[in-house]
Amino acid sequence: MFSMTIAEPAPGEDAALEACLRRIARGDQEALALLYEKTRKAVYGFALSVVKHPQDAEDIQHDTYVQVWKGATSYQEKGKPMAWLLRITRNLSMDLLRRKGRVDTMDWEECKASFSQQSAVTAEDRITLAGLLAALGDEERQVVTLHALTGLKHREIAALLELPLSTVLSRYSRAIKKLQLAWKEGD
Amino acid sequence: MTQFHTEHADEAVEERIRAAMEHAAPSQLDRILAECTVTASQQPSLQVVTPSRRRRRWAPLAAAAALAIVCGLFFVGQYRGANAVASVVSLDVNPSIQIDVNQKERVLSVLALNSEAEDVLADMDLQGTQLNVAVNAIVGSLLQHGYLSSLSSAILISVEDQDVQRADRIQTELTTEVDAALQNAAAGAAVLSQVVTQDAALESQAAASSISVGKAALIQQVQAANPQLDFDALAALSVEELSQMQRTGATAMPIGRAAAAAAAQAYAGLTERDIYEWEVDPELDKTPPYYEVELETAYGELEYDVDAYTGQVLKGRADVAKTGTPQTSSGGQSGGGDAQITRDEAMEIALKDAGISTGTAQGLRCVLDWDDGQSIYEVEFRSDGVEYEYEISAVDGDILKMERDGEEWGSSSASDDGYIGQETAKEATLAHAGVSASQVYDWECQLDRDDGRALYEIEFKAGGREYEYEIDAASGAVWKAESDYDD
Repeated sequence: MFSMTIAEPAPGEDAALEACLRRIARGDQEALALLYEKTRKAVYGFALSVVKHPQDAEDIQHDTYVQVWKGATSYQEKGKPMAWLLRITRNLSMDLLRRKGRVDTMDWEECKASFSQQSAVTAEDRITLAGLLAALGDEERQVVTLHALTGLKHREIAALLELPLSTVLSRYSRAIKKLQLAWKEGD
Repeated sequence: MTQFHTEHADEAVEERIRAAMEHAAPSQLDRILAECTVTASQQPSLQVVTPSRRRRRWAPLAAAAALAIVCGLFFVGQYRGANAVASVVSLDVNPSIQIDVNQKERVLSVLALNSEAEDVLADMDLQGTQLNVAVNAIVGSLLQHGYLSSLSSAILISVEDQDVQRADRIQTELTTEVDAALQNAAAGAAVLSQVVTQDAALESQAAASSISVGKAALIQQVQAANPQLDFDALAALSVEELSQMQRTGATAMPIGRAAAAAAAQAYAGLTERDIYEWEVDPELDKTPPYYEVELETAYGELEYDVDAYTGQVLKGRADVAKTGTPQTSSGGQSGGGDAQITRDEAMEIALKDAGISTGTAQGLRCVLDWDDGQSIYEVEFRSDGVEYEYEISAVDGDILKMERDGEEWGSSSASDDGYIGQETAKEATLAHAGVSASQVYDWECQLDRDDGRALYEIEFKAGGREYEYEIDAASGAVWKAESDYDD
């Protein structure tokens, strides 16, 4: 069962996000709420793809928006609000991994239990997430998640992850193939 | 079994990821909002649109066309309520212009706040036109009057309106519009914009200093870092100087552009007669803050960095009149009066540095030129599909600039994660420049991609010279090395 969602952000959305950031810089809470609605999925998904733990990703999402609130005045408009936002998410995620001592092992059973408590998460979602978290390498997961959720182009993803474009392209196509295979087995 | 990899397959996979994240992403807006209250850090702030690398071509055609259209327009009719001022927009470069518009964003009046603005507005009749059309026309006229062309200039757009959302929208629209007009005209100015809250005290202060409320608001932000700074003295500074001071929280009064130019002129030992043109670019957000002064003189083009607070010359040639020879009036191709080495020697130096024999170099060219107050040889050639460009000092044979551009890149692009890192790039750069790490200041290093290859773009200063390097991020090879002449 697919629920139809629109790839975000829609074209031209950058200008809207910048307008949000401008209002946030002046202390407009409504704008923060609007920004949250527009980007929460991307921020959470990207955080999850880096920290590989639902609870940690939730904390990162929270901290990201608190930091946006405090730091929106320092945003310099260059038409890349999403990249700016995700850089905050990435920095927070890396900090967390560093503090945790970069534990690379991910306990999927623990994650599954956590997702099971969320009523919105369907059985199919769990297979989807299992494939993402367990079957992919870190870079593959981050690249495919960013491309699906953020509207960033491969080139921008390369800049955000500090990877060569060629790496991003190959990670992306490998991730797609691996996910197709993993989900086929899971479904 | 063959797995077909198609865009359709990509989209299906991505759709599934989106659905899962939609369901899994927590909703914690309330928790976030509870922690986000208005603090002192939420000050009104300046939005900056930095100019992308526009070329300094001088062709304000599009803007001039807009101006022509507007000059032919007349104010036709009005209706009840339309005369109430809804928003006040001000434009500040050096000329300060105030535009009052009604709620339909039609222009009620345009006011020149200083004499430069009077020249710019001349006999334009903008009353009754739509705000964006009027702003376009004014920008066109600013360009025609020689403002906004250089990279060192900036235009400040300020919107004053009680309706915050409308102010916001107008700010965004005008910023986009003006930026596009500048892009079209290939002008280099930066666009700054802000929303200003109405403040009677600020308005009277602005009027007293013949500046717009927008510029006054910017000055107020600068004064926040040091209330001792004099309002009128700040009002005399350009919008760009003020915005740099505001960004860095400057606490002292800079000497200003004219004084910086005068300091450079004195240092060069030149009289006003020797100087054809000068341009000053404030760099008040650098450490230390300075003015970059470009003098076009009888002795060629000279560049100086002048400390923004002490007026001391940090970089540039002293006493040019004693050591240099005035150029003839035959244009840029003259020079060579102080040439000590021959063309053949210059070519030999370049080829030797590139490790290429005369026989294998194709398209070898060597031209004697005059740059930055000295004679140089520009040497160009190709070998194995790589283009080389050298600038060799004609006085002592020093390599002032080296650049090579490959044609076969992409196939042998950097391996995954195989970058040498900024530290190694720094070592390679300093070794090439023959500079020790302790001498280096203003170090900037950025990983960038150009034509499919990854490069560290590096800029730094040492021993009174300014260096620019490009280091291959995978191999550490030096792709570009440039250093500015200085004494």
